[in-house]
Amino acid sequence: MERNHKLYIFQITLGVIGLIFIVRLFFLQIVDTSNYFKALSYGSNEVTIYPDRGTIVDRFGKLLVYNDAVYDLMAVPEKVKNFDKVRLCKVLQIDTFDFNQRILKAGRYNKKVASIIYKSLPINIYSQLQEILYDYPPFFIETKIDRRYNIKGAAHVLGYMGELTEKQLKAEKYYKPGDIKGMSGLEKGYETYLRGWKGRKLVLVDKFSKQQGSLAGGKFDSVPTTGQNIISSLDLDLQEFGEKLLANKIGSIVAIEPQTGEVLAMVNSPNYDPNLLVGQTRSKNFGALLMDPRKPLFNRAIKAGYPPGSTFKTIQALIGLQEGVLHPETRYYCSRGFHLGSLTVGCHAHGSPLNLENSIAQSCNAYYCNVYRSILDNPKYESVQDAYIQWSKYLNSFGIGVKTGIDIPEESTGILKKPAYFEKEFGKNWRSANVISMSIGQGQIGLTPLQMCNLSATIANKGYWITPHVVKAIGDNKWLPEEFKVKHKTMVESRYFDSVIVGMARVCKPGGTAGRQGIEGIEICAKTGTAQNPHGEDHSIFIAFAPKDTPKIAIAVVVENGGFGNTYAAPIANLLIERYLALDRVVPTKRPDMLEKMLKANLVGAAIYNLLKVDSTLLKPIIPLKAQ
Amino acid sequence: MYNTREEEKIHIDWITVIIYILLVAFGALNIYSANSTPEHSSLFDFKTEYGKQFIWIGIAAIIVFFILLTDANFFQFSAYGIYGIILLLLLALLATGSFTAGAQAWFKIGAFKLQPSEFAKYATALALAKFLGTFDIKFIGKKNIMICFGIFILPMALTLLQNDTGSALVFACFFLVLFREGLSGWWLVLGLYLAAIFVFTILFPSLYLVGFILIICGIVAYFFKSHKQILYMCAIIFVASSVFIFSVDFMFSKLLQPHQQQRILVTLNQDVSEYYKHKATEFSLFKIDTKKKDEKKSKRDYSYNVRQSKISIGAGRWTGNGFNNGTQTKAKLVPEQHTDFIFCTVGEEYGFLGSALFVLTYLFFIGRLYFLAERQKTVFSRVYGYSCASIIFFHFFVNVGMALGLLPVIGIPLPFMSYGGSSLFSFSMLLFTFLKLDANRVHEINRM
Ligand SMILES: [Zn+2]
Repeated sequence: MERNHKLYIFQITLGVIGLIFIVRLFFLQIVDTSNYFKALSYGSNEVTIYPDRGTIVDRFGKLLVYNDAVYDLMAVPEKVKNFDKVRLCKVLQIDTFDFNQRILKAGRYNKKVASIIYKSLPINIYSQLQEILYDYPPFFIETKIDRRYNIKGAAHVLGYMGELTEKQLKAEKYYKPGDIKGMSGLEKGYETYLRGWKGRKLVLVDKFSKQQGSLAGGKFDSVPTTGQNIISSLDLDLQEFGEKLLANKIGSIVAIEPQTGEVLAMVNSPNYDPNLLVGQTRSKNFGALLMDPRKPLFNRAIKAGYPPGSTFKTIQALIGLQEGVLHPETRYYCSRGFHLGSLTVGCHAHGSPLNLENSIAQSCNAYYCNVYRSILDNPKYESVQDAYIQWSKYLNSFGIGVKTGIDIPEESTGILKKPAYFEKEFGKNWRSANVISMSIGQGQIGLTPLQMCNLSATIANKGYWITPHVVKAIGDNKWLPEEFKVKHKTMVESRYFDSVIVGMARVCKPGGTAGRQGIEGIEICAKTGTAQNPHGEDHSIFIAFAPKDTPKIAIAVVVENGGFGNTYAAPIANLLIERYLALDRVVPTKRPDMLEKMLKANLVGAAIYNLLKVDSTLLKPIIPLKAQ
Repeated sequence: MYNTREEEKIHIDWITVIIYILLVAFGALNIYSANSTPEHSSLFDFKTEYGKQFIWIGIAAIIVFFILLTDANFFQFSAYGIYGIILLLLLALLATGSFTAGAQAWFKIGAFKLQPSEFAKYATALALAKFLGTFDIKFIGKKNIMICFGIFILPMALTLLQNDTGSALVFACFFLVLFREGLSGWWLVLGLYLAAIFVFTILFPSLYLVGFILIICGIVAYFFKSHKQILYMCAIIFVASSVFIFSVDFMFSKLLQPHQQQRILVTLNQDVSEYYKHKATEFSLFKIDTKKKDEKKSKRDYSYNVRQSKISIGAGRWTGNGFNNGTQTKAKLVPEQHTDFIFCTVGEEYGFLGSALFVLTYLFFIGRLYFLAERQKTVFSRVYGYSCASIIFFHFFVNVGMALGLLPVIGIPLPFMSYGGSSLFSFSMLLFTFLKLDANRVHEINRM
């Protein structure tokens, strides 16, 4: 019996060990999942599959932006060892020192994460590399996308792509070093829609041998989500025509479809060819554009606040009417200007007194000094300050002094001072006379070209506006954010717009301030403006919409140093309106004289002189600017 | 002659044979998985490890065939002869080793490497069985015990001299055999106790350990106040343990070189810096100059194996990735996977269910061997049977325990499964010699 007893001891021991092993197995395989996930990452290269970024087309479906594949050689620095370096370097056409530097640099960022070793492989190197990469398991190629442009303009609307800074990379975990992201314009505003979502593929890699195909039959791979295509509201033809007209001038054009708020054109001059900011030359060109004194990267249309000049009279009239301090038949005398004590605001020669409609058509300064005084000195309000605050609220309801909310980033509010500003400037009891220059859109007021255009569109709509947007529809189901369908009512009732519109309709007719810039057969409602410019020649400004009764386009044009509103801004705006309304776009202009004059005009030299006080011919273009 | 063989065939333990065949085949599958690549996936590519393993299996079959043909009495008759030859081979290795660069564990014959230490276990089992079989008595005298110890300590020492620590440790399994043959179980308990104290001394500050033992002895003494014998025992255990702890601590801290310390620490899965940290505390008697911790790197290479092994097994989850689909296996991230870490492939490709079934099957196999050993009618067969089962048991326990991260990394193969000719041949000989003896049991009965 003693013998059997010992056999039991042996067999119980076996049982206990079996139990221990199985419990341990259960712990390692079932309970502790960390081993499982480590296994996934250790044994594979995580290859990111970049989705196609959404393309951008214009409102008629013309392709503006598309993608091209670029190939980056990647490696996890930690895994890079034991390989034929000489052969690889020969294919990459770099020396081993350079190669080592690249590996070291990648390792400094993170040894365990795949980094770019060779960015944007030239196509010949790429194809050679594909044949030998089999022998280099830690290395793999990632196919990324870069933007390509079908056009040479619209750069500010579309925006550019760029690599993220280290700080941005930390904040936005989605991106890896070397990834590009929309940095301005539509590319930035709609980044999350356009980019889609990256996929990944875990490629099993042998530590010392060959790449061995997808891990676990692709069980852990994820398919990328393609970015959504975007239909822009831009009218490419109008955009390009605008760019042509504004070439060799400094300024901006914004055109909006009043009923929808869709931006038809947004032109800045100077601008740049978007093709400059792609691929390997991106950072070099970006630096050059940034340093260029003409500021080609500056999106004037949404960032620059210009004194609106006489175009501001339209809104002054509307506020006056709503406030009850002005009636369509109110007449004010003008003796070559407005005189109040020592204060004089000059005016040009015209018949006097004028009623409201004609005050707009002929742009009488004295008339609006009186209107503005009556608004600010309205006994309804306890003080000028209160009246000013109310007036500011009117402006805000037109999208002035606030951001309009356009879907491209970094929009400016323009300039609209708070009463405190004037208290500081003129003392606590400042009076309407202190701010009288604002009655004609000069002084402490600034509108972006976008806000000017929006004002025009609001008048065309007789009292409402829709947040301007450069995107017409997103994705396959043509979706548009709700915010771009909401009508913003102004504080001025619809009925007060008629007399202002009648006045505007006379501007481009004989006797109006742009009487010689009209186009036969189109009923254009407009207002000229001349913004005083302390640095040089005045800025030429023009807002308009047409046709009068069924407005299809609202437009604002600013030509810096262009002088009177009717000199440059009016002809450019009217030519654009003519082209837009002639839907087939082939009708020759009825004003070839005006077109020729606009195309020939060159104001850049003068502008540069004003800006830098140097002869522009001494400034060599760093990068050939568009249309130069 | 013909008749006897007929009878023997009938009495061979087919359960064991079938499990043997299953294990060998399963081993080959896993070696194939661990080594095949898309370029080398043909089953009979003899340049690859799995291709070679097929050759080894073929040769093993021939060896098994010859063993079964051999007369059962041959083994008892020539036990000492085989033992002597193996000892000579081990000595010869040491001699050649001293001529060449360093210690070697194998003879190179053409393309083959023959590892005598693998066969030494077989020879020792035979010799021990023969020695104990000569006295057909139940009680082993002190002198005989010493001879028994000598029989396995001699080849153990020779193997150790070849720096083959793993194989040398296997000889400790003969303690189990002697335990069965009447050696007091206290020897095993003492051995385990000393081993545990040794490990804990290295893992914890020595004063903690002494304090801990004092508390345990104190509690025991308190409950058995009236038993003078137990009080004395507690006192002796405490003093002896303390002396042992301090001597181990002293040897380890002061006599060993840093790299030797690190090797042991790594074997114990210890973080070297952690060790130096607790060695710097006031609870350590022998403080270590922290400047000594330069050679830290060696640690990584050892712990790497264990970490990778655990990851590989952990990757299997419930059902595993399936044959030839282990990602870690295919990526060859576990070093020595086709030899000492073959269990990782099982873990990764067959998951928890497969591995648990495998462990149970293997343990059933060993249990079956112990059962067969117990039913032997002669002391020689019984001792040999217990030796055979214990050798396989020790290998299985250490090998799988190591792969599971429960035991230090000791490089010994998993019998019948790991890649390698020497190991497959020696284990096949070991097993089938026993099965032959077992089959012959009927004749022993008849003879009696
Ligand atoms: Zn006037």
